[in-house]
Amino acid sequence: MSLGETKPASSSEDDALFGRRRFLRWVSGIGSAIMGVLVGIPVVRSFVSPVFVKPVVASWIKVAEDTALLDIGVPVRVDFVKEQNDAWIESIAQNSVWLYSDDGEKFKAYNAQCTHLGCGYFYDKDTKTFACPCHRGHFDVKTGAVLSGPPPRGLDEMQVEIRDGAVFVRVKQFRLGIPERVEA
Amino acid sequence: MGKISRWIDDRIDLKTLRAQLIDRKVPWGLTWWHTLGSATLAVFSVQVVTGVILAMYYSPSPDHAYDSIRYIEHTVLSGSLLRGLHHWSASAMVVLVLAHMIRVFSLGAYKYPREMSWLFGVALLFIVLGFSFTGYLLPWDQKAYWATQVGTNIAGSAPLIGGVMVKLLRGGAQLGAGTLTRFFALHVLLLPLLLIGFVLLHISLIIRQGMAPRPMALEIDAPARTSDPEYPAYYHDRYAKAKVADTRFWPDMIGKDVAVATVVILVLFLMAWFIGAGLEPPADPSDTSYVPLPEWYFLPFFQLLKLVPGKYESVVTVGVPLALVLILVLLPFLDRRSKRSLFHRPVAGVALVGTLLGSGLLLWGALRGDRENVRLASAGVPLTALERAGRALVKSQNCSACHVIGDQKPDSAGDVNDAPDLNDVGFRHTSGWLHSFIELPTRFHPDSKMPSYGLPKLSHMEMEQVARYLATLRGTHAMSEPPQIVDTFPEPVKKPEPQ
Repeated sequence: MSLGETKPASSSEDDALFGRRRFLRWVSGIGSAIMGVLVGIPVVRSFVSPVFVKPVVASWIKVAEDTALLDIGVPVRVDFVKEQNDAWIESIAQNSVWLYSDDGEKFKAYNAQCTHLGCGYFYDKDTKTFACPCHRGHFDVKTGAVLSGPPPRGLDEMQVEIRDGAVFVRVKQFRLGIPERVEA
Repeated sequence: MGKISRWIDDRIDLKTLRAQLIDRKVPWGLTWWHTLGSATLAVFSVQVVTGVILAMYYSPSPDHAYDSIRYIEHTVLSGSLLRGLHHWSASAMVVLVLAHMIRVFSLGAYKYPREMSWLFGVALLFIVLGFSFTGYLLPWDQKAYWATQVGTNIAGSAPLIGGVMVKLLRGGAQLGAGTLTRFFALHVLLLPLLLIGFVLLHISLIIRQGMAPRPMALEIDAPARTSDPEYPAYYHDRYAKAKVADTRFWPDMIGKDVAVATVVILVLFLMAWFIGAGLEPPADPSDTSYVPLPEWYFLPFFQLLKLVPGKYESVVTVGVPLALVLILVLLPFLDRRSKRSLFHRPVAGVALVGTLLGSGLLLWGALRGDRENVRLASAGVPLTALERAGRALVKSQNCSACHVIGDQKPDSAGDVNDAPDLNDVGFRHTSGWLHSFIELPTRFHPDSKMPSYGLPKLSHMEMEQVARYLATLRGTHAMSEPPQIVDTFPEPVKKPEPQ
């Protein structure tokens, strides 16, 4: 361990305003900064790119052919297929919403994701509530309000329209786990 | 041999290196507990080699990820064992890192002069947890998909930055192809680089500072606080004295290290061999009856989420992890008393036991609650569109004129009515059988009174809808009960033998 143990004596080159060493120190600093910026810009921008993806426009989707086929007074989960763009993959995926009606004419549609952390909830026949199995949230069937458990807000309701007996829902996704209803 | 080593020695001075790294003296009385760090390193090496091979077969795309895992499991030679090793070693990493931290905490080894070793160690802990979180998604099975759904939503519930966080993690607004490639890149590129970097820092400090001695070697006549000006001199004096016993790194310590690592890897091998890594059905974003569970060491946190009301959600999802980081990072700077043994640090002792007990209780609660959850989830299986259409047909075709369905009783109760009760027909027959029966009942029972509903009364699609609906009728039988199918098909009519 004999190399480099003593500090080299300072020379006039170290301190001169336009000295060689001073110049080289500046070159190292500025060079590192330039390299950092040149590489950093594309790296950071492409890393955060998904944050700026435009939200999917909510679309009206026919979820049931005929209101006569749906239960009254008991919520019904209807599945539908939807074309979706998952990054670079265009696929046809199955989705679902929960429909509820008191009278068979006016329908409520709830997004099928629990507002807590996005698990799928189900209709619990015993308690007549929507129950989420992940962290035991319970929701009211008629209003979507939280009855118990950790969900921060009621179920996300979506617009419904009945056209010629068929049920259309304006399917939207919302941010989960927060009290406010914000579109994702 | 001698010639070669001399040739190398001439150039890079191996002898000095060996004296400094291998033959150096270590403090007396190092225990088996001191082998946990090196055991973690051994298991990490297993992760590196198994991971490299797994990556040769794995395809990080929603279309192919699951199938590539199946390929590894079923076709690749020893693939199941390889994946099992990687899976169990991942758990072992977390267990060993935590055990190692508990050892360091209990012996006060994070105190002067090893505060930086502790900080690098804390960074390593979170890198290991990051590995676990990103690796969990890669098989793209149900468990992977739904646990990550919950995990990323937890990040999304953070105040202010939640919306950005969740998109950054997922590589998009929803979980999907962008998430899988993102997690894959983190898991196999960024995290390994980070981990190796921090491991090198962590180890270089051990080499530079030597291993921490037993607490008692540093407690006699010690200044009260490690921040006292005379403490460094005291420490170096005592540390030199702790090394008088001529205990050496090789083979005194390394022997123990290797023995422990061998046992650990043997256990991991056996678990991979006998239990394997498991693979659930492929990810199904529309399956709302699935109850996701995170990896077991995240369960205490998961259980905590069930116990807090929605208002305090972000307190737990963001506050608890943040508090954990802060406590771990600040620990060596807040605790400057020179007492090192846990027996002389009542507050630290209570905090450690309390944390372990609390997490243990939560873990136990989560494992117990598990079973209830599964029962809950099967409570209501909604009808599909096909089944609902079938139900409408059952009404419109007036099946209840003869059969009991739901509350509807046949009007012709006076007649001799031997039409079977249909309320549990799905428990006895499959939809396939029902379809055939509805089409032509006399094929099954020559004297059946039921009229044929085959063409032109019902189309094939309609018969299928009715059959599907009827198959869902299970009477009072629980969903968990296996149906007792008594489908008997008529003997096929024998064609006359060709002459």
